[in-house]
Amino acid sequence: MTKTAEDTELREAVALDRPWVTLVWDDPVNLMSYVAYVFRSYFGVSPEEAERLMLQVHNNGRAVVATGNRESMERHVEAMHGYGLWATLAKADE
Amino acid sequence: MSELQRFTLQESGTLLAWFEPIELDLLRLATGQLVDMLDAGAADPELAASDGVFGRLLPAAYLDDDEAAAEFRRFTATDLLDRKTHNAKILLDSLGTNPADADDILGEAAAASTERQPVTIAVDPDAVQAWLRSLTDLRLTLADRLQISPDGVVHLTGDEAPFLRELYEWLGMLQEELVYAIDV
Repeated sequence: MTKTAEDTELREAVALDRPWVTLVWDDPVNLMSYVAYVFRSYFGVSPEEAERLMLQVHNNGRAVVATGNRESMERHVEAMHGYGLWATLAKADE
Repeated sequence: MSELQRFTLQESGTLLAWFEPIELDLLRLATGQLVDMLDAGAADPELAASDGVFGRLLPAAYLDDDEAAAEFRRFTATDLLDRKTHNAKILLDSLGTNPADADDILGEAAAASTERQPVTIAVDPDAVQAWLRSLTDLRLTLADRLQISPDGVVHLTGDEAPFLRELYEWLGMLQEELVYAIDV
């Protein structure tokens, strides 16, 4: 498949629009049940997806829980801090 | 633990919580201290910006950009602390008024606890979220005092360590029961 100018533009537009991620990090305090509950109730994901993300945090030390523009990721991080979860935001390609 | 269920979620959304009087005293004491600590942090932004327990309650939002992390903190710390204080006060209010000090709880009240009857308190649907978040803040605060390392090991030694550890574990159990009770 050859790249067209439209493809490249589209990819750049997506990159500009969604270059940030919200990360939740593993910590020794928060309970697995609580972390899964927060993912479900705040992000509105299914119980299965919440469980998958929670296990990713638990096993890999962190998980990307949201992708989007910087402002929305800052909002998510602030909300996670409100729940007592350890969250950060970063550029998606980092 | 008693055979009685700790939490019961009613159809109205109201949560019934069952406690031994000594448990209620302990929760009241710990939450009261959390409120004081959060108030101190709100009154002194420099304290709140310092490491230690505030570093965990308000962690850096950017790992490798100190400037962005400082700016995020400048814009969010006051609101976050206000909400945490608000939640802790809701929790404290639900526990009823009868603030006991530490000596009472560990001395006379503990001795008299066998004569006191278990208490059931009703928690409004709105207050349940405050309970969840405040129990987390309590455990984060205790984990800091217990010097719990990332692998979960307690490093605090000394006379108060066993009591704080027991309280920390009890709060964990309480929160687990709460999550299961409201998880529909």
